Amino acid sequence: MVEILQNVGYGFQVALQPFNLMYCFIGVLIGTLVGVLPGLGPAAAIALLLPTTFKVSPVSATIMLAGIYYGAMYGGSTTSILVNIPGEAASVVTCLDGHQMALRGRAGPALGIAAFGSFIAGTFAVIALTFIGPFLSNIALKFGPPEYFSLMIVGITVLTYLSSGSMVKALLMAGVGLILSGVGMDTISGHYRFTFNIQSLLNGVEVVPVAMGLFGISEVLLNLETEIKREILATRIRNLFPTLKDWAKCIGSIVRGSILGFFLGILPGGGAVIASFASYAIEKKVSKHPEEFGKGAIQGVAGPEAANNAGAGGSFIPLLTLGIPANPVMAILLGALMIHGLQPGPLLMKDAPDLFWGTIVSMYIGNGMLLVLNLPLIPMWVKVLKVPYYLLYPLILLFCLIGAYSLSNSVADVIAMLIFGILGFLMKRFQYEGAPLILALVLGQKLETSLRRSLIMSHGDFSIFISRPISLGFLIIAALLLIIPIITQRRKLSALRE
Amino acid sequence: MEKADRASGLFWLVFSLFVSYESYKLGLGTLHQPGPGFLFFWTGVVTAILSLIIIVMSLRNRPPEETAGSDFGSWKVAKIVPVLISLFVYVLFMEWLGFLIVTLLLFIFLLGVIEKKRWWFAVLVSLLITTLTYMVFEVALQSQLPKGLLEFLRF
Repeated sequence: MVEILQNVGYGFQVALQPFNLMYCFIGVLIGTLVGVLPGLGPAAAIALLLPTTFKVSPVSATIMLAGIYYGAMYGGSTTSILVNIPGEAASVVTCLDGHQMALRGRAGPALGIAAFGSFIAGTFAVIALTFIGPFLSNIALKFGPPEYFSLMIVGITVLTYLSSGSMVKALLMAGVGLILSGVGMDTISGHYRFTFNIQSLLNGVEVVPVAMGLFGISEVLLNLETEIKREILATRIRNLFPTLKDWAKCIGSIVRGSILGFFLGILPGGGAVIASFASYAIEKKVSKHPEEFGKGAIQGVAGPEAANNAGAGGSFIPLLTLGIPANPVMAILLGALMIHGLQPGPLLMKDAPDLFWGTIVSMYIGNGMLLVLNLPLIPMWVKVLKVPYYLLYPLILLFCLIGAYSLSNSVADVIAMLIFGILGFLMKRFQYEGAPLILALVLGQKLETSLRRSLIMSHGDFSIFISRPISLGFLIIAALLLIIPIITQRRKLSALRE
Repeated sequence: MEKADRASGLFWLVFSLFVSYESYKLGLGTLHQPGPGFLFFWTGVVTAILSLIIIVMSLRNRPPEETAGSDFGSWKVAKIVPVLISLFVYVLFMEWLGFLIVTLLLFIFLLGVIEKKRWWFAVLVSLLITTLTYMVFEVALQSQLPKGLLEFLRF
């Protein structure tokens, strides 16, 4: 306990350095902006701003990139409430009741409770992260290649299980991501794989251009097909501070949302999006007046907003302690840390305590900044929303082009991004999801090395994965996640036939 | 959607078989000492099976709610194709012409031709955005954007 407090103190020393404070501020500001703007999510934003951090220390870079992620969770609620367009996926549910509240002249309290709920949940997640992080790091130190292999399998399976569309397609995308991770030199044998004598493939497929293409370019292409119509509420926003009655209604929702969001965030494959949907469902279930949901129930805003922020905080745990990203945003952050020469995992806390504790503590500060930033600046964010899409999309495209080029000052990265942009567009049109592909691409190399090392350890005996209890536990979870949808689908089919 | 699923399933099936074939050529090794193609051969086999499932499912009649607007017929490519071509042209000439010139031309094209804004507006906004992004990325963040033809100006 004393050690943790000492570490937190050290984290404050790092995070309060003027330079880091500035990067934290820039991060949360850009994050809020990204959250406000539909068509640009945190994954694409982090990917395209990554090259701008090459000149600064890894600590400042991580503080800023993390700020973008949790900042986007705040910003996303503003557009959901005022325009009925979620700025990013984790704010989709906020539209349901948030916009209804706005239509009934209660935009102020809706925005207010979203900001306060987010602040409380965000702070809760950071405190929990402070205590659970070191504990998990210690457990993870005992992991060998078989445990890592099984854990990664769980991560990929959870993400495919939770995918909104067809699970078969999600699994297929995970397979494609895994195959893409094999391009380049095989680190064990030194052979080149799938390079077809193309110079730019020798170093493998980089995560960042792929993410920019799949989440940035493809989104713009998709929006070019459909005109985005934005009707911004003309009424003035008053009374941002929720009343005591509002607080009494919401406090339970915020607490439930925070706890649920945090634990769903930790789960590999989980994260803010799932957390917000789960929280809405629970709030509706526990409410004495479920019929009010969808018609402007303030709990329907407070719960999911708290959950998505706590989820964003929680998802840092598997990345910082196990080196396993829980979702695509964390996958890009992992790529970012690796570019900065760091290897996230159980040793990160010992090897780079300034990064580990500095980043965690910066989130306390960032959450405070967001509260201050969000409430008074709401009119400004509304103005940002008025930027017409014909100006916005060329700008997003330009930022993607600059971002991809700046990765290694090479045109090859830009071409890769454009190709994956087209692929991402087609995938969206054919209802394939990009998230499992990115996660498998990032984990691929580690997954393969763990598999091959495990098999070398066991002299080719696959039972090594089930003879070690932790590994067996992970594999059972993965198997259940694969079997459950098949059983439920069978039941549904037989019910339909009857 | 069935048509689209059949086409995409077929694409991934061919892709998977190709990956498995290439991985087989790389060498599968033994279970004691897995080779460089081991994991990807089996991944290819699994993705091939998954693609087959998608094809088979698309051949059966699916419930109507899944057909929502994703068939080939509803595609509006009038804007997407020229935008994509302009992006590839941008990349092609990026290093030769330099960031300032290609960005200016790209914006004039997107605003003037694709979005059909008045020419003076397109030029003015393009000049403004090009200058601003150059100041932010090159001057402030030192991104080392290509200078191309304007190299001699050394700014």
